[in-house]
Amino acid sequence: MLYISIFVLDLHNLTVKTMKNRKKRFMITFISIMVISLGYIYLDKGTELFKGLELIIVLLITIAGIIALIRVIKKDKNLNEGLPEDDELSTKIKYKSGYYAYMATMYIWVIIFILKDLFPDKQSMLGGGILLSALISFVAKYFVKKNFYE
Amino acid sequence: MNNKIKELRAKHNLTQLDLAKLVDVRRETIVFLEKGKYNPSLKLAYDISVVFRLKIEDVFFFD
Repeated sequence: MLYISIFVLDLHNLTVKTMKNRKKRFMITFISIMVISLGYIYLDKGTELFKGLELIIVLLITIAGIIALIRVIKKDKNLNEGLPEDDELSTKIKYKSGYYAYMATMYIWVIIFILKDLFPDKQSMLGGGILLSALISFVAKYFVKKNFYE
Repeated sequence: MNNKIKELRAKHNLTQLDLAKLVDVRRETIVFLEKGKYNPSLKLAYDISVVFRLKIEDVFFFD
């Protein structure tokens, strides 16, 4: 893992030196991290990881990573333009979406506990639940922003 | 609540980005304000009216 971290850092430094477009730099670094991490996991655990529930968890991690990257790029763009990261509207959207995400997550946990026999072990159940919660918060924010009217 | 931000911005040759910078909010907030989807705080309404050198009630009004 240490070698992977060093390699990714080297790659990021190389892109910083050679590429002016910050968006492209983020994309290249992110895709490299994803490919290298998945490759490492594949070599370590073999093809079993990409079957059934494990595949869903890997997909959830990938989706969460992509959404997080898009958010970082947007924040970076705002900062580059001399605009604040957060303001009164974004704070309101955060509070509102936080409430919806909290309510939805409670139901999700109830469903997860009802379907607990479908999970191979407790780690998968908890990990999957936490990942789903993160995705729900992203989705809630998207819908609140889209339908915001005050 | 409605507002004349879009017209006043055009009159003063300001882009959404320029106005956002002047009142220290994100560009998205200006978009929401112009669409009438968001009622600003008193501070933001005051800041915007100061940019256009008008009273708050000349920029923001009820239908």
